[in-house]
Amino acid sequence: MYQDDGSSSATSSPLQFFSMAQLSPNPSNLGSPYPYLRELKSEERGLYLIHLLLTCANHVATGSLESAEVALGQISQLSAPDGDTMQRIAAYFTEALAERIIKAWPGVHRALNATKIKIPSEETMVRSLFYEMFPFLKVAFVVTNQAILEAMEGEKMVHVIDLNASEPSQWIALLQALSGRAEGPPHLRITGIHQQREVLDRMSHKLVEEAERLDIPFQFNPIVVSGGLENLDPEKLRVKTGEALAISSVLQLHPFLASHKNPNSRLLQRQGTLGELGKMDWFLNVLWGLSPKVMVVTEQDSNHNGATLMERLLEALYSYAALFDCLESTVPRSSIERLKVEKMMFGEEIKNIVACEGGERKERHEKLEKWIHRIEMAGFVNLGLSYYGMLQGKGLLESYGCDGYRMKEENGCAVICWQDRPLYSVSSWRCRK
Amino acid sequence: MTMLHTQTHIHITSACHPRIDPDAEVIALSPKTLMATNRFICEVCNKGFQREQNLQLHRRGHNLPWKLKQKNKNEVVKRKVYLCPEPTCVHHEASRALGDLTGIKKHYSRKHGEKKWKCEKCAKRYAVQSDWKAHSKTCGTREYRCDCGTLFSRRDSFITHRAFCDALAQESARNPPPSLASHLFTGAGGAAAGLANNMTLGISSSTAHSSAAADILRLGGSTTGPGQFDHLLPPSTTTATSQQFRNQPGHLSPSSAAFFIPQQDTSDHHQSSYHQPFHHALMQQFSSDPNNAGGAAANQLFSLGFDSTTTTNNNNNMMTLFANNNNHGGGGGDHQHQMMMGSSTGGSVPLFSSSVHQQQMNNMVAHMSATALLQKAAQMGSTTSSNPNATTSASLLRSAFAAGPNHNNNHQKSSSGEKQPSLGTFGGSFFGDVDTDNGSSNNLHDLMNSFTSAANNNNNGSSSSNNKKLTRDFLGVGHVAAAVRGIATTISQQQQVGAALEGSSSLDSERNNNNSMGSHSSFGGNPSFQ
Repeated sequence: MYQDDGSSSATSSPLQFFSMAQLSPNPSNLGSPYPYLRELKSEERGLYLIHLLLTCANHVATGSLESAEVALGQISQLSAPDGDTMQRIAAYFTEALAERIIKAWPGVHRALNATKIKIPSEETMVRSLFYEMFPFLKVAFVVTNQAILEAMEGEKMVHVIDLNASEPSQWIALLQALSGRAEGPPHLRITGIHQQREVLDRMSHKLVEEAERLDIPFQFNPIVVSGGLENLDPEKLRVKTGEALAISSVLQLHPFLASHKNPNSRLLQRQGTLGELGKMDWFLNVLWGLSPKVMVVTEQDSNHNGATLMERLLEALYSYAALFDCLESTVPRSSIERLKVEKMMFGEEIKNIVACEGGERKERHEKLEKWIHRIEMAGFVNLGLSYYGMLQGKGLLESYGCDGYRMKEENGCAVICWQDRPLYSVSSWRCRK
Repeated sequence: MTMLHTQTHIHITSACHPRIDPDAEVIALSPKTLMATNRFICEVCNKGFQREQNLQLHRRGHNLPWKLKQKNKNEVVKRKVYLCPEPTCVHHEASRALGDLTGIKKHYSRKHGEKKWKCEKCAKRYAVQSDWKAHSKTCGTREYRCDCGTLFSRRDSFITHRAFCDALAQESARNPPPSLASHLFTGAGGAAAGLANNMTLGISSSTAHSSAAADILRLGGSTTGPGQFDHLLPPSTTTATSQQFRNQPGHLSPSSAAFFIPQQDTSDHHQSSYHQPFHHALMQQFSSDPNNAGGAAANQLFSLGFDSTTTTNNNNNMMTLFANNNNHGGGGGDHQHQMMMGSSTGGSVPLFSSSVHQQQMNNMVAHMSATALLQKAAQMGSTTSSNPNATTSASLLRSAFAAGPNHNNNHQKSSSGEKQPSLGTFGGSFFGDVDTDNGSSNNLHDLMNSFTSAANNNNNGSSSSNNKKLTRDFLGVGHVAAAVRGIATTISQQQQVGAALEGSSSLDSERNNNNSMGSHSSFGGNPSFQ
């Protein structure tokens, strides 16, 4: 039938032919198979792209840059950011791999990025697109609000800290829910943290308006932090005694894992050693020190924090395949918004996962189990999500109209999946005294 | 001008009281005296004090002789009243003198003084520090703003105003009054809440592809005044209209209209009689479609027997906020705002709307999802036994996939060795058992044909096991879910999970030989992926 060990034989399938062509770096050989490539159906092309990607990644990981170069060239022939799902994924992954290669020449890398301007409003806009186009954040908000509502039953003074206050709708929903409480609404104070003043002002305006309309005593405290949450000054949060505190963290914890060497150094951190080792422990300790009545954490549920490139790349391939599939199923290919989310959000995340190492690598997504363990070690107890909260989340997903989205429960936490691939998790915690 | 140091406590007489005490001693102080803060200076350190007593106490610290004056009870103290030094002021007259020294000081600052204290949040300025402090405590905390723009700090005055405000009256006439949804949540007991819950869950508001959905939209959506739906509460059938629902062809349960998020054009429809059948129809759908994933949740709901706790009600509202609809997201328009007002449970606005249109149909042109492709690639390169040292792309993918969703990241089989994958192996097994006579272009076409037909066969077989009406033949016009689920079902049905995860190649190659490309059975369709 066919050879197993890959030696060339007279009986060769076209792909074998391609593989053989790859083995020899002679560019003249590469010219011939290309006419066929355009005729490949998308499925075959997709499979081929996967194979090429993994090959290339392997080359990069082992340092065989010339082979990687060849592979990259081939992939570029097939990939396209506006093609089908696999083509898009391949495009972003190869860009990330190329970036990783270039980093071996720091001068060149810096030069290539010399004119890159980070426009914060663009990032906010993309984040907002992500919120619109996927149900993940919405479900997270619903579940978060429900957990807060339940924890705050009977409380008169409620203080909510939002570690990344970008979507007013979340808190508008909470306001509305609170106004319908049997015992009447509490005095609500929301502290919103964000990089941009404008976002906070807009949120403040909307929330104050809504609170007035609903006649809820309300106060919004904006806190602007630049350069990430690690620069947050806990004093500014001004948590007062007598108020019940809720903390909402949506995708904000994982950057603290960057250059995190010893995950079990909790003891060190409790003693106040703030250093490179314990940024995550330090931050969790800060949160613990605020004694929140409830803390709801939403994080990605994928392991993109492996030690080696190949581990991360493989995992990321699956996760982002699922995410790109979501988009493919719900948004037309020609949509600019989709392109923006893919490029500016997912593309950047992929780049960070694949091309960066150490402290630069901020997108350190981890599986839910690890988060549970970590947060427990920091002095929290898993409250578990109520049946009703889960139901609400599921109901929202149902109503989304795309049946690829699923939600399941794991250890009392909600996990939102695409098909069978878990993508995001939401968990609810309280401080252990 | 007389400077008086008085230690006695003076009764505060409100300036509003016109009682005149003819025996009161009238004191007129100069502005400088009035505003002077520290009139008593310590001779040693020049520290200033407002009261002599305080100065005396301070002098003790310097070891200076000190004496505290005491109030002599025998002495009759005349009541003192003070005049405002400003000639134009009303309190410049003796008959309108103020009885309190502190009071006159504050008065003078407020009326005739410079406003040095400014509120941070608003623009208000104050001359007296205590005024400023008191204001900033309450500034922004509790404010009521009428729609006409007037701001109130007191709730009672706000409510009174609102009742008579012209602007408000105009606006409510213009916009439609509260919607049906909010009144479903207006708990007239558990039944209503239950209703609402059920409907919430079963609802999505995709753009109605089918006319069926559109009808339901129209029927379900609308806004009418409050109180029209009290009769709605228990789910009972009205035969005529419910028939309509049950007979809707091809109706998709998840895409039944978000009736509480009405489309603009449905606002005029009168829906009181429609709700009961709508709800009932929903129930029908849920109960009759056991494979409906939404049904499972809904059925649970139905059996929940909603104790109408307020939390329940409140969170119904929250649900609707996040439910999908096609109106513009992020705070929806005034239309929706108005519609949702007035609910006793706080009203709900479809805030978390999205513009998800069902694009499944549009993009499904002979296209396989990336997830499915990865799975396929993972189980393609199957011949690991022949070359145990080779790490093929497929085995990499397999180990990643196996380790991925539900397991810890134990990549024992993964590329720890970081060897070059054996390209030939991958390429060689790529096309499995396809007849490879010669490497001509004919072969490529044959290949592609075998691919398509195989995949079709597989998917046709598996999609039949799936009752969901949404799913279709995958590589034809297909829906993403079908293929993957199809693959998953085939896998689980054939129960090859354990073997597959072991990576036993003999099984794989057998299957590859037996079954043309559609043998997705070997791969980890992990039942625990639920």
